[in-house]
Amino acid sequence: MTETVLETDGLTKRFGKLTAVDDVSLSVSDGEFRSVIGPNGAGKTTTFNLITGALSPSEGVVRFKGEDITNVAPHERVGRGLGRSFQITNVFGGLTVRENVRLAAQSVYSDEINPGEALFRDKNGFEEIAEQTRTVLEQIGLQDRADEHAEALAYGDQRRLELGLVLATDPDLVMLDEPTAGMSSEETQATMNLIDEVLSDRSLMLIEHDIDLVMRVSDRITVLTRGEELASGTPEEIANNEDVRDAYLGGVRE
Amino acid sequence: MVAADFIEQLLNGLTLGMVYVLLAAGLSVIFGVMDVINFSHGELFALGAYFSLSIIAPFGAGTGFWIAIVVAPVVVGLIGAAIERTTVRPLYGRDPLYHILLTFGLVLVINDVIRLIWGTQQRQLAVPEYLSRPVSILGVQVSVYNYFMIVFAALLAVVTWYLLNRTKYGMIIRAGSQDREMVRNVGIDIDQYYTLVFGVGAALAAVAGIVLGGYQNVNTGMGNSVIIPAFVVVVLGGLGSFRGAVFGGLLVGVVQTLMRAYSGSVLATFGDTTLTVPNLEGLTVYLLMIAVLLVKPQGLFGTRGEESDGEGEILVGGYGGVLADSTRVRLGGIAVVALALAPIAILFMGDQYYLVVLNEILIWAIFALSLDIVMGYAGLVPLGHTMFYGVGAYTAALVMLHYSQSVFVVLLGAILICAVLAWVVGSLSIRVSGVYFAMITLAFAELLYSAVFKFDFTGGSDGLLGFEAFLGLGTVGESLSNIEFGLLGYELGQQFVFYYLALLIAVLSFLFARRMMNAPFGSVLQSIRESEERAEFIGYDVNRYKRRAFVISGGMAGLAGGLLAVSPSTVIISPDQTLNWIHSGEVIVIALFGGMGTLYGPMIGSGVFFGAEEFLSSYTDQWRLIIGTMFILFVLFVPRGIVSIPSLVAQRLETANNADGAVDMDEPEVRSDD
Repeated sequence: MTETVLETDGLTKRFGKLTAVDDVSLSVSDGEFRSVIGPNGAGKTTTFNLITGALSPSEGVVRFKGEDITNVAPHERVGRGLGRSFQITNVFGGLTVRENVRLAAQSVYSDEINPGEALFRDKNGFEEIAEQTRTVLEQIGLQDRADEHAEALAYGDQRRLELGLVLATDPDLVMLDEPTAGMSSEETQATMNLIDEVLSDRSLMLIEHDIDLVMRVSDRITVLTRGEELASGTPEEIANNEDVRDAYLGGVRE
Repeated sequence: MVAADFIEQLLNGLTLGMVYVLLAAGLSVIFGVMDVINFSHGELFALGAYFSLSIIAPFGAGTGFWIAIVVAPVVVGLIGAAIERTTVRPLYGRDPLYHILLTFGLVLVINDVIRLIWGTQQRQLAVPEYLSRPVSILGVQVSVYNYFMIVFAALLAVVTWYLLNRTKYGMIIRAGSQDREMVRNVGIDIDQYYTLVFGVGAALAAVAGIVLGGYQNVNTGMGNSVIIPAFVVVVLGGLGSFRGAVFGGLLVGVVQTLMRAYSGSVLATFGDTTLTVPNLEGLTVYLLMIAVLLVKPQGLFGTRGEESDGEGEILVGGYGGVLADSTRVRLGGIAVVALALAPIAILFMGDQYYLVVLNEILIWAIFALSLDIVMGYAGLVPLGHTMFYGVGAYTAALVMLHYSQSVFVVLLGAILICAVLAWVVGSLSIRVSGVYFAMITLAFAELLYSAVFKFDFTGGSDGLLGFEAFLGLGTVGESLSNIEFGLLGYELGQQFVFYYLALLIAVLSFLFARRMMNAPFGSVLQSIRESEERAEFIGYDVNRYKRRAFVISGGMAGLAGGLLAVSPSTVIISPDQTLNWIHSGEVIVIALFGGMGTLYGPMIGSGVFFGAEEFLSSYTDQWRLIIGTMFILFVLFVPRGIVSIPSLVAQRLETANNADGAVDMDEPEVRSDD
């Protein structure tokens, strides 16, 4: 196995008396496609939010690329290479497609922009940012629609842009929260192809409902139930795991 | 004797507190259920008092008072319901910001109707003789009316509580204030209840107006004077919480009254040191409000989570409308040239007064522009923006009086002090969002407003005077008032010089803001307005950007205030002219009216607002009525402001041309499933 990119150690989140995430210790290797599955209420989204920083844990540690990021602000985690996409498309609707991507690219370079430039220099005058923007637009195939407002795009294109925003921040690990929720099977296939196309060289962590999908695409799978880690392993191992079959595969899939 | 005196003050405080309870109950429930920040609540309160004046007159105080206290609230309640039906209803689902514009318009309209019908003179509301008698119980002497107010208001509060908690209607309304969507999801048409809530809220306000009118007097400013304390009560108790309104109302009433009575009096003496009550009258409630908002933004009794509802859409001035960029630049150039030549036209007309109006427009254009930076770009709505305008003006006046008369030093001082103030206020306020941010900035502004009355160096309620600006630096230059030169036989004075100075600064401010919005910093602000969460998760420290925007905006508003002090038409810088909350409302209204999120829109808004005010007031006394109506019509039909009119017109023409199945430009809804 290669280096570990993300690690959680005893991650726990309690809301009052409810323990949503209970002592979860994960480890994602560099370049791995990891999926986290589990029935409703298993603590998938809470785990996701603890890793991205939208919530802070009651106990436990999150380590990213070897550093403890448990108390690091969400935007700072993005800066360190931890990107995330949203379940419901969340792009800057009133801005152009190019500006959407450019903003994401700018965030990577914002440390190199001095205050004077930040206030007064034309935002389109930064060659590195413009270059990165062009590359990403090409990768997501929206270069022809770059001057349209994001809200005018068709749904599928908005999903592409959503991924483009993540991509433009040049993340090492991308957290994907049910990227195919509410999609038809063709749309799901198209989205997974896109993820494969543009994000395959990065580590991925996918929160997902759809077991068939997860079985096809993942390197490793973690199964959560009632906030606890039930099993982790390759798709074959998970498919053959008795506990998983009892707790999840057997029960929920009608 | 001390104890009796204290109890007397306590009773006075409770009396006032009960009025606040009645006012705040409606305001709070209206906000909780409908998300409407209702500035016109104070005018409905006044309307109650005025109606009862007219009802009491023919019957006499004995029976008239009792008829009035039943009939007037019913009438005001019906008016409230009608207002909800016709004006508030079309705005549901939009950002609460638009309710500010709407209800601000309603304030102007209702207030002017009151002036029109009842005149501007202060009136006495006659109460039955047996109520106005003083009575002494256990050595405490207050009038029977105090006891009547407390008991009557308490009864009403109990009835309201019963209706809210023990009836089906009340349950639905309370559920609506917790989570409106959920109520809809269980199949109840909550919208139907809005009219009822608004009507009952208005009726309770009217009762409060009658009760307080009988205690003090009836005047056209009474609505204005209670609305801010009522907001404080609502925020303290928790937006949407009836229990909170009761507790908050009594607390504010008692604290206000006790602080007024005992400020500066000796509390205790320990040897050489005497402990006195600090002179914080007027400040205490705002300090309390800020503290509560910082520690528990949802208020003492509030249960609503922060931002439990997805906020409504903020409509910016449109994406440049139908006019091409080059056209707009050319139009802007023409506007500047026209403004530069305007004094010559005014010279020929021979009335320099127009120049005074233009100067005011330019100052407010800068003020409105500064607001647009935070409101139109960073999505922050400060309800206390006039604190920077006011502090800028005070700073400028103080610098001129004590330090330097140089215009450049004066304006720089105003900018710097306001930027620092904005940094402090912003650091504290930006942690809370949405309506809580609006309220906390309001509290800071009111705190400063009350504070300038307290200090000698700010001149108390008189304000500052006797300052003069010097156009230059060091000894090079000339006093503004000494500047006078002739041109083609016309006398040109300080108004001209100041006009060009203000025009130059306005143009530079605009260019600065435009440059900034096209630079990396401004682009991030726009992304925050579009989606704060997304901006955060592409790696931006959202709060830091907001705080910086707030500092820049505060500095620019300070510049506008500084210019006000420098202006030759300004003789006095007084609290009401600069720090009164009404200016915070006005500047929001002007920015929305012009078209926010465009930078030039708010500046145009300033021109149209003051131009219309000047023009209308020279023809009719009812100009407020007309401007208020204009606001209401705009918020209903032209929500993107004046700057969106060209594209609205173009759209109309388009639909008229291809009448068969024309495509509506405003609805790119074809995105769904293709």
